[in-house]
Amino acid sequence: MVLLRGSGDFTGQHYDFAVVMDGTGDGGVPHGKLLMDFGAAVVGDSADRLNACRIAVQNTLGADALADAAGIAAIFNAVVRLADATGIPLEDAKEAASRVVRAEIGIDAFAVGKD
Amino acid sequence: MRKELTQAQDRAWARLAAAGTWWSGAERVAIAAETRHATHCQLCARRAAALSPAGVEGVHDSLGALAPAVVDAVHRIRTDSGRLSQRWLDGLRQQGLDDERYVELVGVVATVIAVDTFQHALGLPPRALPAAQAGSPTRRRPAGARIDRAWVPTLAPEDVGPDDPPLYDGLAGMNIHRALSLVPAEVIGFFDLDSVMYLPDRQLRDYGTEYRALSHAQIELLAARMSALNRCVY
Repeated sequence: MVLLRGSGDFTGQHYDFAVVMDGTGDGGVPHGKLLMDFGAAVVGDSADRLNACRIAVQNTLGADALADAAGIAAIFNAVVRLADATGIPLEDAKEAASRVVRAEIGIDAFAVGKD
Repeated sequence: MRKELTQAQDRAWARLAAAGTWWSGAERVAIAAETRHATHCQLCARRAAALSPAGVEGVHDSLGALAPAVVDAVHRIRTDSGRLSQRWLDGLRQQGLDDERYVELVGVVATVIAVDTFQHALGLPPRALPAAQAGSPTRRRPAGARIDRAWVPTLAPEDVGPDDPPLYDGLAGMNIHRALSLVPAEVIGFFDLDSVMYLPDRQLRDYGTEYRALSHAQIELLAARMSALNRCVY
């Protein structure tokens, strides 16, 4: 989230971070919904949906972009385990920088319901 | 597809097969196999559907090669990592799973998830697990590792000693890099894969240059969405 905001600051774009939670729009990022739909399909349980999303990404953004999207989805499906399994927190500076947006879009609710 | 994507996964698979710091090659491959098997576990499925996983008793469907505490660690990290807790980890410790082996296990599970998810995302079959290589674990714990900001001991960048591997080379030493630092080889291995599938640290904030077929904004939006889908607060 901090890096997405950094990218927006650099380009002068305003991104809607709330779409990260529900995947309902592109958030101001070109083809953002297409990519988020692909990510959701990767961790979903519908082979048909994943196949359709894969074709859509390839036809819209190209084969190299599809491979890169697969890499991002894959490594972030893994890196979250490092954080979850070791209890490593966000850095204080990152936590402070993202506190407002995290509260607004509901990410902090994920901390509830742990075993 | 960038050749580097395949090469990085080849390196990850070679590391998986070799003896690690605390597990043998055969044990690491067994952890990898159990990681895949966890997605078919009925107990994990019932727990994932429950309000609290702690309220669902039972035995994991396992391949039988690993101790119960190890199986529980692998299955929970694979299927329900967003609801792990320090109390759960304390339970594993009480069953004899020490922090060093736990941290290396986390690295192995995460590596397998990354490689398998990549193949799945592209509609490719999973890679065959590698044949385990002979050799003994090095069993070397960083002298400067200590409990600080995580549930497990970590090695801060300023505490890296001359005998420690260069685990933070090319990395900013952020908290996520420190997560596995009790086992430096796992930091080096995982972030070798990360730098190719995502971006090297030095390129993360170089917003004026695009290094991938996706823009920085597209990469970060997808990354944030993946964290949200996994209910990760990080």
